[in-house]
Amino acid sequence: MSASPARRSIGFAALGLLAVGAVALSACTPAPEQEPTASAAPDPDATLTVGLVLEPTNLDIRHTSGAALEQILVDNIYEGLVTRTEDNGIEERLATQYEISDDGLTYEFTLNEGVTFHDGTALTSADVVASYEAVKADASIQGNADFADVASITAPDAQTVTIALTKPDQNFLFTLTGPAGLVFKNGDTTDLKTAENGTGPFVLDRWAKGSSITFDRYDEYWGDAATIGEVVFQYIPDFTAGVNAALDGTLDVLTAVDPNLVSQLEDTGDFTITTGRTTDKATLAFNGSKAPLDDVRVREALRLAVDHEALVEAIGAGQTLYGPIPELDPGYEDLSDVAPYDPTKAKELLKEAGHEKLDLTLTIPSFYGTTAAQVLVSDYAKVGVSLEVKRVEFPAWLEDVYTNHDYDLSFVLHVEPRDFANFANPDYYFGYDNPEVQDLYEKSQTEIDPDKSAELLKKAARIVSEDHAADWLYNGATLTAHTAAVSGFPTDSINSRIDLAGVTKSAE
Amino acid sequence: MIRYALTRGALLIAGLLVSSVIIFLTLRVFPGDVAQLIAGTQADRQTVEALRESLGLDKPLLAQYTDWIGGVMRGDLGTSQLSGASVGAELVEKSRVTVPLGLMALTIALLIAVPFGVLSALLRGRGGGTALSIAAQTLAAVPVIWAGMMLVVVFAHWLGWLPAQGFPRSGWATPGRAFESLLLPALTIGIVEGAMLMRFVRSATLQAAGQDFVRTAAAKGLTRRQALIRHGIPAVGLSIVTVLGVQVAGIVVGSVVIEQLFTLPGIGRMLVADVGTRDLVKVQSELLVLTGFVLIIGFIVDLVHHAVDPRQRAEEG
Repeated sequence: MSASPARRSIGFAALGLLAVGAVALSACTPAPEQEPTASAAPDPDATLTVGLVLEPTNLDIRHTSGAALEQILVDNIYEGLVTRTEDNGIEERLATQYEISDDGLTYEFTLNEGVTFHDGTALTSADVVASYEAVKADASIQGNADFADVASITAPDAQTVTIALTKPDQNFLFTLTGPAGLVFKNGDTTDLKTAENGTGPFVLDRWAKGSSITFDRYDEYWGDAATIGEVVFQYIPDFTAGVNAALDGTLDVLTAVDPNLVSQLEDTGDFTITTGRTTDKATLAFNGSKAPLDDVRVREALRLAVDHEALVEAIGAGQTLYGPIPELDPGYEDLSDVAPYDPTKAKELLKEAGHEKLDLTLTIPSFYGTTAAQVLVSDYAKVGVSLEVKRVEFPAWLEDVYTNHDYDLSFVLHVEPRDFANFANPDYYFGYDNPEVQDLYEKSQTEIDPDKSAELLKKAARIVSEDHAADWLYNGATLTAHTAAVSGFPTDSINSRIDLAGVTKSAE
Repeated sequence: MIRYALTRGALLIAGLLVSSVIIFLTLRVFPGDVAQLIAGTQADRQTVEALRESLGLDKPLLAQYTDWIGGVMRGDLGTSQLSGASVGAELVEKSRVTVPLGLMALTIALLIAVPFGVLSALLRGRGGGTALSIAAQTLAAVPVIWAGMMLVVVFAHWLGWLPAQGFPRSGWATPGRAFESLLLPALTIGIVEGAMLMRFVRSATLQAAGQDFVRTAAAKGLTRRQALIRHGIPAVGLSIVTVLGVQVAGIVVGSVVIEQLFTLPGIGRMLVADVGTRDLVKVQSELLVLTGFVLIIGFIVDLVHHAVDPRQRAEEG
């Protein structure tokens, strides 16, 4: 790409000549005629095409982690007893109701009637028991660790499931809204990596790997049927290509719009852009078990040196976040007082710690944009810290940073909701070990009253922030563009859940 | 001839085996594994280990190699560690994009190379010939990805005639659209490869012009140009076949880049994605198939050469 101007202009001229040839060729294939606008009423059999960035690697949501999988499968194909609302609240799904005993140890769920798996079999409490027994017994199933306190899962009758815990777990119900809580048919032989047999309002029609996944409406759905006939998830890994696809009419909805490209969509007047809240925490991890980051003064300096407001501005969406808990999770508190932008103080702290000049490495998975790293490099240069940015593929990040804890600074978007536990786990790659925080977290989990539990989390989060265990660069927001024909497309938290049952598309 | 074919065939098999070892070992330098990727960032070590074991990643390298190559010899390219899908079936599916893309690129390359190459030889020493030579030199030096971006700018953005990316979901069920979406990528590879091939056609034609049989024909009353076109060019054909073998390798490599640029769901993009997810058993088989493909083309070219060219047979004789 370093062609000289002379060579480039010759290239242009030659390409121009070839253009003439291609015109002749393209003239042979007529463009499809546009149908005239008929009416704006929702078309129950319409096809909705949704552009997404990250394609799942397989469909086995029981064994494979990743937002890409949860995002499309949960609630659409598979369902749990309970589910999450857009703002991370909990509501009933397969269960009509649930009751938690006063001591917080027993959960009783009553199942909806008339629920069937996509193969036509009726769902009973035995399926729920078998699904949850498997999560508890099999370490390779997602959520196995979250089931550690489950004592027993029983089915008193065909419509009731009772789960007993060994100790109260404030997060248990929320765990059931994730992959661990999904219900699979007892003794099913479906290969979950490539096929499915869920109970949701959609069935898997086709997966063209590397390109798209198609869902069809499940007509025997037990609840309100989906208001759309077919959904196509079109995977476009490149942000610009995604916008192009929306502009040329290939997509009805584009998720995860790059904020810098929004104006291109807005300018056409054909798209509505929504901004959704998320629990994405852009986490700048400090390797606290290794010098010089084991010195709290260095960590504090590294936080004070970052102009978070300017960073959010540069990213183009989201809001500042100064602690481990985002707004959508219990225990959130505005902690901006802990690390306000103060490069002068940062310099002083570094001097005090004996690091007037400091060389650090930032390890960052290559699929993230360059903006955050660029801002950090320039902010840190102002306080005498020179930052070397090491962009690596995600598996390499997993090995170096996550598994081997071999890093200085690391940048990753932690998207999971309610993942404060990582700061209460000294073995996690943050390497943050504070018994007081661990104790507070444990108490918050065994506390039965949700408000008191949130208070304990809030306290723990403040300590983590005051220890400068990490820096939280921003709390991400997700931009979604859709055409006027689409309505009811979810806005918040759609990078972990896109509930499509209520989406409509009018016949244009 | 049979002895030649057997010797050459043994060489082909040896080449494949050596390639398989090289492919297997070089992939092992990548940090990170598929088990960790499946387990994700919330998993504990126990979960990752359980997954690693179930995928056979804890076995010694030699066992992993023999497992794989043994399967390949039985015609089983293995299953993806990540998706559980058959590698062979996915290769077939992806080749529905890559093979037509390659054929279109090859056709375009030939359409550019043969007429312009001969023309540039015929016009040697004149202004037109020099201009053609310079154009070929320039285009051959253009990186495929840059050529692709230029074509996108011109045809997709400015003129809006052709799609800038993607392949129709319905695939070849809508042949018009499928063809359209392959046109720009094929042009991109075709132009660059065609320009390289054109230089070769030119020099081969010039060489033929100096051959005795062309001069003899000229002596019999044909003009030099007539002699070259009637007798020289057919002789050039054989050498073009040889170069085409090499060219196919170039097209395979080019398609990896181009499928990425145009988001085409072909073999190239599958390969890049699989390396990214450390689905190594799959990558191994895919690379072996591609290597095998190029080696077999070379094998066929050699056999054809041997059968057609009397001089080679005489040497053996």
